[in-house]
Amino acid sequence: ADIKLKASHQWPGGKGDVRDEMVQIIKREVEKAGVGVTLQVYPGKSLFKPKQQWDAMVKGQLDVSAFPLDYASGKHPQFSSTLMPGLVKNHDHAKRLNDSDFMADIKKIIDDAGVVVISDAWLAGGFASKKECILDPEDARGQVLRAAGPAFEQMLVAAGASINAMPSSEIYTGLQTGVLDGANTSSGSFVSYRIYEQVSCLTEPGANALWFMYEPILMSKKTWNKLDDKQKDAFMAAGQVAEDYFFDAAKGLDQKLVDAYKGAGVEVVGMSAEQHAKWVAIAKESSYKNFAEKVPGGKELIEKALAVE
Amino acid sequence: MSPLALGVLVAVVTIVILMSGTPVAFSLGIVAVGFLLIFDGMGALDVIPQIFYGGIDSFALLSIPMFIVMGSAIASSRAGSDLYEALDRWLYKVPGGLLVSNISACAIFAALSGSSPATCAAIGKMGIPEMRKRGYPAGLATGSIAAGGTLGILIPPSVTMIVYGIATETSIGRLFLAGLLPGLMLTALFTCWGLFVAWRGGYRFSDVSAHFTLKQRFEILPKVLPFLIIIAGILWVLYGGVATPSEAAGVGAVFCILVVAVIYRMWRPFAFWKIFKESMRESVMIMMIIAAAALFSYMMSSLFITQSLAIWIGELEVNRWVLMFCINIFLLVAGFFLPPVAVILMTAPTLVPIIEAAGFDPIWFAVVLTINMEIGLITPPVGLNLYVINGIAPDVRLPTILWGALPFMFCMVLGIIILCLVPEIALWLPRTMMQ
Amino acid sequence: MNIFIEAVRRLSVACGVASVLLLIASVVVVCHLVIVRYGLGASAIWQHEFVTFSLIGATFLGGPYVLLTKGHVNVDLLPIYLGHRGRVALALLSSVLSLIFCVIIAWRGLLWWEEAWVGNWHGETVWAPPLWIPYIAMPLGMGLLSLQYVADMLSLITGRDMPFGLKPEERQS
Ligand code: NA
Ligand code: NA
Repeated sequence: ADIKLKASHQWPGGKGDVRDEMVQIIKREVEKAGVGVTLQVYPGKSLFKPKQQWDAMVKGQLDVSAFPLDYASGKHPQFSSTLMPGLVKNHDHAKRLNDSDFMADIKKIIDDAGVVVISDAWLAGGFASKKECILDPEDARGQVLRAAGPAFEQMLVAAGASINAMPSSEIYTGLQTGVLDGANTSSGSFVSYRIYEQVSCLTEPGANALWFMYEPILMSKKTWNKLDDKQKDAFMAAGQVAEDYFFDAAKGLDQKLVDAYKGAGVEVVGMSAEQHAKWVAIAKESSYKNFAEKVPGGKELIEKALAVE
Repeated sequence: MSPLALGVLVAVVTIVILMSGTPVAFSLGIVAVGFLLIFDGMGALDVIPQIFYGGIDSFALLSIPMFIVMGSAIASSRAGSDLYEALDRWLYKVPGGLLVSNISACAIFAALSGSSPATCAAIGKMGIPEMRKRGYPAGLATGSIAAGGTLGILIPPSVTMIVYGIATETSIGRLFLAGLLPGLMLTALFTCWGLFVAWRGGYRFSDVSAHFTLKQRFEILPKVLPFLIIIAGILWVLYGGVATPSEAAGVGAVFCILVVAVIYRMWRPFAFWKIFKESMRESVMIMMIIAAAALFSYMMSSLFITQSLAIWIGELEVNRWVLMFCINIFLLVAGFFLPPVAVILMTAPTLVPIIEAAGFDPIWFAVVLTINMEIGLITPPVGLNLYVINGIAPDVRLPTILWGALPFMFCMVLGIIILCLVPEIALWLPRTMMQ
Repeated sequence: MNIFIEAVRRLSVACGVASVLLLIASVVVVCHLVIVRYGLGASAIWQHEFVTFSLIGATFLGGPYVLLTKGHVNVDLLPIYLGHRGRVALALLSSVLSLIFCVIIAWRGLLWWEEAWVGNWHGETVWAPPLWIPYIAMPLGMGLLSLQYVADMLSLITGRDMPFGLKPEERQS
């Protein structure tokens, strides 16, 4: 009989979300390969809550997941470097980063924890505000912002903003009711939560993005070890197909973001290399510093990531 | 075994274990664990504690104990009686006025409490003895309070709406707004029925000796005012967009405690302790069910029962109103046996995609679901409001209460029918107030 | 045996007190959150997690006390129709079922707590609190809940307590 595997993620299923698409591609490709493996996809957190997925994979109760790695940073603090401001500038840079020493270190930690990477994927994001465009660090001063993750919060606080932590699903109401002046999240969320109805300016990812997040397709090592070589090859091949699809789709996602906001009459701006460098300077004094001090091997990780041209 | 057959087995086993008198939370838990171990293997033990814990690991759930504290703070004082007396002084000349006062008091209190038993207790403590003293039959007195109390989960704030909002990722603010007009509609239906019975039974001026001067009528108003202010405050905080429901509920709880302390001079620490102790008991009971329901729905999803059920119903291609009728019957039956929170957590994640595919609005459905749950609150074997009435009027037998409450249940069914015909009653307010 | 039953009762009451205190703490902290966030316009850092943890703690620690005071809602349709012996048998059966569940959660919860302790797990926020603190509530509360079930069963067998809290003559229809 076929081996039946479970794949889970938190995004809507069958509605064109890129991460759902990646998992579906892997399902199609692996089943097409005819190696006796079928994949059952559980989209929209219908099996596990987003942050439970890591533990479930480590324990072998979940086989495959599209998982934002930072969600496991409470267990492996090094993972917060995959949601660190300014380390990844654009999609081509992200592609080069995948083969760097930095990612080799991260993948070793993933592997040691009992999880295998099937496909790499980096999602871009930006800022939006209803007060003023966020380009220079000074622009953020005095604004109440929602940031994605502690590293961004630390950097924004260092730039003089105040932080209101909330899930991305609450950004819309936050802006509407004045609890927030602006927010920082992924391109996908900016579009799907229709935040363009509430803001006056969008800072698109463009060539000098501050916000990138690593959201790979992962597999439980317990499951991996149960597969024979043919099945492993089928998974890796499928993973490559998904990764290639993703690379184009992610750029398309950013284009969709720009189109949606321009279409809604929102001003769209992008950071220059100098503005990006100012933010990185602030990050070095806040989030990077913090990360280097608190996380074993943190300093080296940042250095290795910054070394990637 | 096919997932659907497995689903039937799960249903049978769950019903049997529930019927044994095992607490609802632990029944759901043991069924979930049992099926996971048999059909998913012993490895499932590795994630069971995470999922149980994860069921209550949410900031949004905080609003449940907060709204319960709010209600029990007020219920512990004479506020319920004052509210009731104020209404009575204004309405005592109306035929069946006492009944109207009681139902209106329930509706107003419902706006201060997220739970139905609390509403029932707060108004019933004064209302039931008073009605019986003035010659209303025991069935009508207890039945009307049992039914009026159920408004607690329809008129915002509402514990069950919060649970529905979290389970289906629907805005809690919109859900609250959606419940308001249907709540008032049910209040009106209850009142009409009450007036009709009073007129037919001749309970017109059973207390002819009573007379309240205009002065007496006005001097009691200040006692009611603070509560109306709190209600207005919570509405403002929730819809003026000042804070999230959890934050609004926390502030509301503190305000209610302060109001009770100042107006009723309740300064003794013991009184406060009692408020929190009672709130703790009710919220622990609910939160345990929520945690166990998380395990239950994980089991249902992991064994692919939920998904197969949704696909199966989707492929039936029945008329959408036939579907809605069947869902209502199902909810009604589930409500007989389970407390509202358990029904919502076990069914909403499966039902909502189905009803959305059939073209119904999930917010409108929340209101229909809630009214079904209200009926369940006053039917045995698990009717939380019946326990409360039993505590207030131990000498009234269960069949008498049920008989008295039956017409009000018909009012609720009528309410559901009206909502099906005019969905705007539920949808107009959230649409206009929150775009 | 009396000593055991009494000791468990006192433990359950003590945990109930802790649960009430946690509930009060969460009311206070959520108000503090509102003041910081909306009053002072400052960043709220630790309040959300603290309040969520208190709520989890209150639930698990409150569980045994709620069992002691018969507050966990159940369907008592069948017990009402049974005679005394039938009720005792049914009450024992349902207690065993609950006990199995509580023991499993307490035992596996303890292992999970140990993982968090050994692995030095933290929350994924700026506050980054150690997770073993909230995690301990589950094995503690569910463990004591198991003990309370054992004590209840002992009281039932020895006739100290009536099944489902029903009096022998109580037979509603
Ligand atoms: Na209410
Ligand atoms: Na019922």
